[in-house]
Parts: sequence; C-alpha cells; structure tokens
Amino acid sequence: MDGIRYYDIRHVCGQSTHIEIDNGVIESAGTSFFDHAVIRALSTKGWGILTVDNFGGTPEKERERLIRDAARIAAITAQEVSLADATRGIRGIPPMHEDPREVSIGEKAEIMLSIEQAARIEGIVNTRANYTERFEEVTFQDSSGASEQYGMCRSGFGIMAVASRAGSLQMGYERRHSIRGLNIRHQQECGRSAAERAVALLSARPARGGTMNAVLDPELAGVFAHEAVGHASEGDLIQEGNSVLRGKRGERIGSPIVTIVDDPSLPEFGFEPCDAEGCRVERTEIIRKGVVAGFLHSRETLAAVGNGHAGNARAMPGEPPLVRMSNTFIEAGESSTDELIAECRTGILLKGSRGGQVDPGRGVFQFNAEYGYLIDHGECTSMVRDVSLSGEILQTLHSIRLCSKERLMHQGYCGKGGQSVPVSDGAPHVLLADAVVGGHVSD
Amino acid sequence: MYPIEEILRKGAVLADEVEVYLTEGVALSGELKRAQVSRVAESRYFSLSVRTIKDGRIGNSQSSNPRDWEKCLDASVASSTLATEQTWNGLPHPAKLDSRPIAFDPSLTPDNDIMLGLLEGMIEGASSHPVEVTSGGASLSVQNTTLANSNGLFYSRPRSDVSASIETIRENSTGYEFGNSYTMDLDPVSIGDRAGFLASASYGGIDISSGPYDVVLSPVAFAQLIGAVLLPALSGRNVHAGRSKLANSLGDQVIDPALSLSDDPFLEKGLASTRWDAEGVPTRHLSFIRKGVLEHFSYDLKTAYRYGKESTGSAVRTGHGGGPAIGNHNVIIDGPRMDVMEDEAIYIQDVVGAHTANPLSGDFSVELTNPFRISGGTYEKPVRKAMMSGNVFDMLGDTSGLGRDDRVIGSLVVPSIRLKKQHIIGT
Repeated sequence: MDGIRYYDIRHVCGQSTHIEIDNGVIESAGTSFFDHAVIRALSTKGWGILTVDNFGGTPEKERERLIRDAARIAAITAQEVSLADATRGIRGIPPMHEDPREVSIGEKAEIMLSIEQAARIEGIVNTRANYTERFEEVTFQDSSGASEQYGMCRSGFGIMAVASRAGSLQMGYERRHSIRGLNIRHQQECGRSAAERAVALLSARPARGGTMNAVLDPELAGVFAHEAVGHASEGDLIQEGNSVLRGKRGERIGSPIVTIVDDPSLPEFGFEPCDAEGCRVERTEIIRKGVVAGFLHSRETLAAVGNGHAGNARAMPGEPPLVRMSNTFIEAGESSTDELIAECRTGILLKGSRGGQVDPGRGVFQFNAEYGYLIDHGECTSMVRDVSLSGEILQTLHSIRLCSKERLMHQGYCGKGGQSVPVSDGAPHVLLADAVVGGHVSD
Repeated sequence: MYPIEEILRKGAVLADEVEVYLTEGVALSGELKRAQVSRVAESRYFSLSVRTIKDGRIGNSQSSNPRDWEKCLDASVASSTLATEQTWNGLPHPAKLDSRPIAFDPSLTPDNDIMLGLLEGMIEGASSHPVEVTSGGASLSVQNTTLANSNGLFYSRPRSDVSASIETIRENSTGYEFGNSYTMDLDPVSIGDRAGFLASASYGGIDISSGPYDVVLSPVAFAQLIGAVLLPALSGRNVHAGRSKLANSLGDQVIDPALSLSDDPFLEKGLASTRWDAEGVPTRHLSFIRKGVLEHFSYDLKTAYRYGKESTGSAVRTGHGGGPAIGNHNVIIDGPRMDVMEDEAIYIQDVVGAHTANPLSGDFSVELTNPFRISGGTYEKPVRKAMMSGNVFDMLGDTSGLGRDDRVIGSLVVPSIRLKKQHIIGT
C-alpha cells in the first residue's frame, strides 16, 4: 500500500469460562465470548494503531481501509520508528493432558466446590474459590507476508480462606494455573493448606522492621527476580531512559552466583508459541553470573537499543503489544535450603507472595511476603505476618549470598500499561544479606 | 440499531427476567517516548452483557459481537442453571429520573490536534525543570451505555473522558503526574510542571533514620491506601461473607470523629457520576461514615435480596461475564481543613506496593515515592529512600487534619491528610 512501509494485524477471538464460589454458594458460572483485532501501521514516522471489535469475517477491502485508517491517525507522530529484523517461526504448543473444554462446566463446578469445602476447617469464617479458563485463537499477519496461527488454552484456580478470632482477620490462599490442561482434579489439599495458613496467621506476630538477613522461598524469590530485575530490563523502559539498567550492559551489578533469565519458550504459564509481532521466542539471560547480559525486546526496541533479540512483545487480546516478561527465573545454585537457613544465622525466612511493584527509573522495588518465620541461631522459630521487602536494583543483587539447588516456578499475572498478561516467576531459595524489611516495630 | 428489543423478547421466553447492558465508544490516545509522540491509537469498542434470572438463579454472559447476541443469551441462560438459587425480588422498574447527563461534555471529541495540544503542554511544563521526559500519554474518549430490562426499563447515558499523564527523570530521581476529567479543563502545563518538579526536587535525597514521624500523604498516596483497604471493607458482600473488619461495627466509631466518608453519585466533577447504577437502581447519596461513626455499607440488588437489605444503588460493572458487582461512584472524604504543610513532617507523594496491603487486617508496608522533609510550608529536603508501615484503620483513628487540595482520583475525591507518628523505616 502506498506510503505504508509496514503493517500488521493481530486478531484474537475465543471464549472465557469462569466459576466463582463464595461460602459454598455458586455466585456465578458461565461463558463469555470475545473477538478483537489490533491493526498497526508505520508510514513516515511512528505507529498508528487501530483496535476494533468483531473483526472476524471482515472483507479484504474493509481490512485495507482499516490499515489506511491506522496509517492516517499516525500523522501527528514525530518519533521515527525502525524495526529490527525478526527471526520467524512458531514453537509447538505443549500438549494438554486433559482439554478443559471437554469437561462440562457442571463437573468443574463440583470439583471446585470440593476444593472450597476442604478449606472449611475450624476457625475459618469465609472460603472463596474461583476457576478461570480462556481459549484464544490467534491469527497474525504482516506486510512482509509473515503469518502465524495458533490456538491455546490457559486455565487454573484460586482458593482463599479467611480466619477470624476476637475481631482479627487473616487470610491464606493458594493458586495454580496451567497451559497443560485441566488442573483442578485432586487439589483439595490446596484448600486445606490455605485454611491452615489463615488460622496459623491469627497467632503470628507482626514483623520487626529494619535491616536483616533474609531467606526468600522460591515463590517470593521469583517475584524478587521479576520486580527487581525483570521490569528494568524491558527494552521500552531502556529506550525511554526510564531504567537504571540503561547503559549497564557488561557491568557487574550482582554476585557471580546470580543468573537471571526470561524464557517465553519454556513450557510454563508465560509460554508463547511466538510473540505478538510473529517473532520466534527464545531464552534471554538478563544477568549472567552477576553481569548485565541482555535486555528484553520488541522489534522496535531492539532496533533502538540493541543487546538481545526480539520475541518479548506480548499483548492482551485487543491491545497493542508491549515489551513484557514471560517466564522469569533465578537459576538454581549449589546449596541446600538447610545450609541457607544456617548461614542466615539471625534473620527471617519469607514465604509466599502478595505481589510487588517497581519504579525502574529510580531503581527501587517493593514486594510483600504472605508470611514468614524468624530465624534465630540458624533455626526457624516463630511465625510472623505482614512482611515486605524493599531494595535498590543496582545494589541488591550483590547481597545474594547463596542459592539452593531446587528451582520452582509459580504462576501469576503481571500488569503494565493497563494490560495484564500471564507470567510465571521462579527461583531456588535465596539468601539475601542486609535486606530492608518493612514491619511494624523498629529495631 | 442493536437488537435490544429482540434480546428482551426472546429472553423473556427463556427466563423470568432479562437485562441487556450495552456499551460502545471510541477512544483516541497518544503516547510519548521521551519528548516525542511515538504512537497514536484509536480504539472502537463494543460490549454486550446479557443477564438472565430464572427461579432465583442468576446467569451472565458477555460478547464483543452484536451479531452473536443469540449465543450470548443462550450462554447467559445456561449460566443461570449453574448458579445457586437465592432470594430474588426482581429487576428494577423504570423510575422518573432527571434525564440531563452529569459529568458529560458533548463538545469533547477524540481529535488528534486536541490530544497533541495536551502532550505538548505537558512537555512545555516539564521543560521548566532540569529533567528529561521519559514517557507520557493523553487520551480522549466518548462512550454511550444503554441499560434495558424486561420490566420496561430503558436508560441511556453518554460519558466523556480526557486524561493526561507524564513521567520525568533527573539522574535516578523520577516524577509522575496525571490529570483526569470529563471536560477539557485539564491544565497540561501544570501537570508537566508538577512531574518535572517532583523528579528535579527529589534529586540528591538524604537518608533518614527509622522511627516515628508525622506524615503528610498527598491525595494520590492517601487514595492508594484507602482504595486497597477501606473501600473493600465497606462492601456489603464482604461484610456478610466475613471478609470485612468493619462487619460488626455499624453505629460504632471506627475512625477519627473528625472524618466523614460518603459516596456522592451526583458530583458535577466526578468521573463516575451517574443517576442510575449498573443494574438500573436510582443512585443516592450514601453516607458510609459520619463524624467517625459507621452508618452504612454498600449493596447491589443480589447482595441486598440475599441478606434482606436494600440496594444502595452501588452496582458497577466489574463482575464476571460483564455482570454487576458492588462498587462506588465518587467516594468523598471530608473533615476539618488545615494547612497540612506548615509543621515539620515527611511528605509522601505516592507509595509503591499499596496493592500488597492486607485488605482484611488493614496492615500495610510500602515503599515511598518522592518523600520530602517539609517545614513551614516548603519542601526542605528530599528523602532518598524509606518505607512506611502501619495499619490503615489505626492510621485513620487519630489524624491531624485534611488539606484543602481535594482531587478527583478515579472514583475517589480526596485531599491530602496529615497523620501523627507513623512508622517510617529509613536507611
């Protein structure tokens, strides 16, 4: 098309199913449908982007008109966008052991009720369970003739239990999400463990704030990798000058035992067969043995910044792609978890995650544990609650003293620019020296 | 134009009651990368939600395709067969409501030049400080919502929205500011100026030691903590489900007797103002807390019917399948006003990680964004890095006073607040 140097169309349609249970009552259960397309065009300078609903069945002439509309609204852009060459190719989608769409919603509701029932132990005043399932049929094509097509299903569940005693409320929760098919069978234990944690937290003390040694469990250490390093390595933030990792490639920012990776090709919850620009997805070592080794990129940010490869452009259906993490993790080390606790001597063991946040330009992050245990003379003692950690990106990786041998991944959703995408984070147990712990009492 | 009547007619055969909620609109947005416009996006969106009720069982389904309405209706009916039966006394009937729109500017159009003016204004404002712009954005949108049900209710409501935001940096000090309105009364230059000031003035921060400090939360920081903890505790659903710390406190003093908290759905400048809620119940002024005493919780129809209460017109569309759920319109915090900046304190522009607060107990521990030591009404020294820990309910129990800078932040209208002896963790 005249004057249009590039365009692409990403069309996603599908359906989502949910079940929501609250105190034994099925509050809501059913299926909804979506059909969204994003049309991007480059003419002289920057992007023109059009997002439309009900794109399915749009005739060729109308598609051309939409591409021209996208190019037209870009007239006021001033930034010249270049696109780096892309490696094409789609990875095979890991097979599902049981396709959730082949199990009736009634049966799924029964299973979820049994997980929720398992959480109703003494001391629990509220139980809540939810199931989500989303099937997406994705079609991508661009002006170079590249085209990809795939269908993928993500499903999972969460269970939350609330314990109450003398006006005090605490909660425990478990969540599991998967790309490998229906994952709710034989999971009643999740309900019970969420409930037992909620009850135990009623007796836990608030944490003491200050600087101390901390052992992070794989779930929390995964969130740490995501917040402390992952976001700051995103190519768009580097390009904007809004990341403390800008210009740091080749610099040592952490201990030699630290290697942090993002890998959308890994068959975990953040898996993508190809990215939202039709690029092949690959492993990126962001930090290799303590040294900044690479950044995460779209074709645009790779051209502008360099250092890495395209393949990390991701998008919610109907939203333009952004540079995003996928499966982000700290590589396992050589120690045992017991060695970490012993080496910590006096400090805190932090477990589970209530999420986190980062200001990548300032290089400061915060994240919150679900619960923890005080470590005294190398042994875990009493339970504590409401513990958060904060730190500075450029200093904190130097403080990692030991990593254990087993890496575990946990699933979740990550928000950026108003879009939420499925991710997984993971790590081994990690010993962090002199961590800044937020608690209610000071030393 | 859309088959609303047809859905209601066919739905009436399949279920006791049917409701259609339809939203369509256009949004134009522009983004800055550094100080240049890097992309412009236009979004044309459509959403149809169908709710059906049969024998006290409620079903929902949603589709982005009007041609799919029969599939959506069938899915809604199928959904209702799965839901647990509950007491249900019917969808609302039409009421005589003032038909004049609130918080709507018919002259607002998604126009490239207007948007460019907003972006350029913010860049100009930031340029009066020694900072670089890293990113920013502006958007203009108009949408129309129609709600109809099988009791003959048929309401329609237009909305307009304009928003602008910008991020700046000086070395490793960052600044962020935003504005949001239903009309073109935003001053982009002052938004840019504030973002530039925050990054610039935060440069070269000092370390402070841990301990108790008097604190001033800006409207932004205050809104973050209230939104994460206090608002969920006022939802009737959380109250009856055992998830609210305030569940047994009606009539009790729950916060500082100087403070009041209410929802005003008719506020002229409110972004979520409306005369009917998301299921057609006429909205009303709702006093949650008056002079520290807890007066009301919020209800939608489903929760109200289940627990023998009355809907407070608090339904919003955030539920699964586009269904209604309890929310709020414009929550206002009021109380005695003072010059919060006069005496010594730590001023906190924003917090990192408010969403990690414990919504049940109210405990939080957050990192501070743009903290300053203030005295005599001026920002004396920036603080490099600090955390604040506490409990939202305790924090509101004994406050010093509110500022005079009320600000609309989403569905909250809040001023800054001065707090006594909060727990700060320094470095």
